[in-house]
Amino acid sequence: MKDFLRHNGIWLLIIAFLLSVLICISSLMMGGTANPFSNLMTSITAPIRDCVTAVADWAGGVQRYVLHYGEMEEQIAALEKEVAELRAQVRENEAAVTENEQLRQLLNLRAKREDFVFESAKVNARSTSNWQSTLTLSKGSEAGVQTGNCVVTETGLLVGVVTEVGSNYSIVTTIIDTSMEIGGLITRTNTAGVLEGELSLMQEGKLRLGYLPDDAKLVTGDEVLTSGKGDVYPSGLVVGQVEAVFDEPSGMTRYAVVVPEVKLDQLIEVFIIKSFDIVE
Amino acid sequence: MTYRHQFHKWFYYSLALLLVWFMDSQVLNRLPIFGVVPMLLPLVVVIVGVLEGAYAGTGFGMAVGLLWELTYPDGFGGLVFGMALAGMVTGAISQYALSQSLLSCILCSAGVLTILDGMRILRALFIQLDTLNVLLGIAVPEVLWSLCWTPVVYLLFHRVFQKVGGTRLA
Repeated sequence: MKDFLRHNGIWLLIIAFLLSVLICISSLMMGGTANPFSNLMTSITAPIRDCVTAVADWAGGVQRYVLHYGEMEEQIAALEKEVAELRAQVRENEAAVTENEQLRQLLNLRAKREDFVFESAKVNARSTSNWQSTLTLSKGSEAGVQTGNCVVTETGLLVGVVTEVGSNYSIVTTIIDTSMEIGGLITRTNTAGVLEGELSLMQEGKLRLGYLPDDAKLVTGDEVLTSGKGDVYPSGLVVGQVEAVFDEPSGMTRYAVVVPEVKLDQLIEVFIIKSFDIVE
Repeated sequence: MTYRHQFHKWFYYSLALLLVWFMDSQVLNRLPIFGVVPMLLPLVVVIVGVLEGAYAGTGFGMAVGLLWELTYPDGFGGLVFGMALAGMVTGAISQYALSQSLLSCILCSAGVLTILDGMRILRALFIQLDTLNVLLGIAVPEVLWSLCWTPVVYLLFHRVFQKVGGTRLA
């Protein structure tokens, strides 16, 4: 402590305090955009993240190849058989698709997803804390990514929402994070609710569907999509399936625990929806 | 110590810090044990504070806090001051009440980690994020798993301390 006082260490504490205030103010002022200091640091460390991701992906591939070679051979044989069956099925389905298309035109329905503008991005870092669930993507404002953009997989499963954008990276808050709130819809019953993260469920990789109407009749396995209410996020994105339904502690309302379809720990490439048309 | 010696000394400490930061942010977060990842950066601040004293601990804590805020998501600024304060307090405690040993580092780390997660719990309770049981269910394993890494981080920084620490270069 003597050296602290002799070297006027109190000035170090004052500088630290001022830096804290500066970062706090810049974060508040920038809203969802990364503050310039974070942006600079994260841009500098981007090659390290890319390198580690590449090594981890390669090591994962080698591990799978070595440990599951026999299994993979069996899978290939099974898949070849399945491909042959599917090809036969596709031929049969082509007629049905044509008929379906005609019916859609007849009903004047929109092909909803045609309006999506996608930007592909690689997942190059994951959460570093037990208190939040985030992913760092390889695209940022230079690619036109903005805060609030939804992120999906190639099959249309909802991953999360972009909450922070740097010049060449963006942070995605996943659907199981506690800060997430998004309108949900049970397709079978057309019941709307609010999808939200909860700490205890986040540890299990799940989320909850709350604010359900009293007469909501949900069963295990019901599919949950985004409702698109509020016109902030697109509708019809697949979120997951209902696992169980519970009464709120108050006993007044009910909520459902939803298991997301997306495997957050296995994501390698995702697609950012940069714009979409609002479907009334 | 001359400026050249000071630069030499803190260059080695910075390399050790970068190694720990790399493990924390790029490797260990991919390998959670029972869903828990450790926090290594507070351990670094405590260990340098214990080994080098309050003044060096404050400066190093400020640098670690800055690194933490700028390279991890959701920075709000408080960690720069918080880590500087942690470095100062652990330096002072080790000088007057404890010693420059692994046991002191473990005790001080436990204190700093508990305060850090305690603050998080208070914030979570304030904004009614979840119940205390759930929050403790996350914080306690996090603190314990982080403490398990103290000897490893201590070995690394103690090696640096033996080589260039204190006034050895003078």
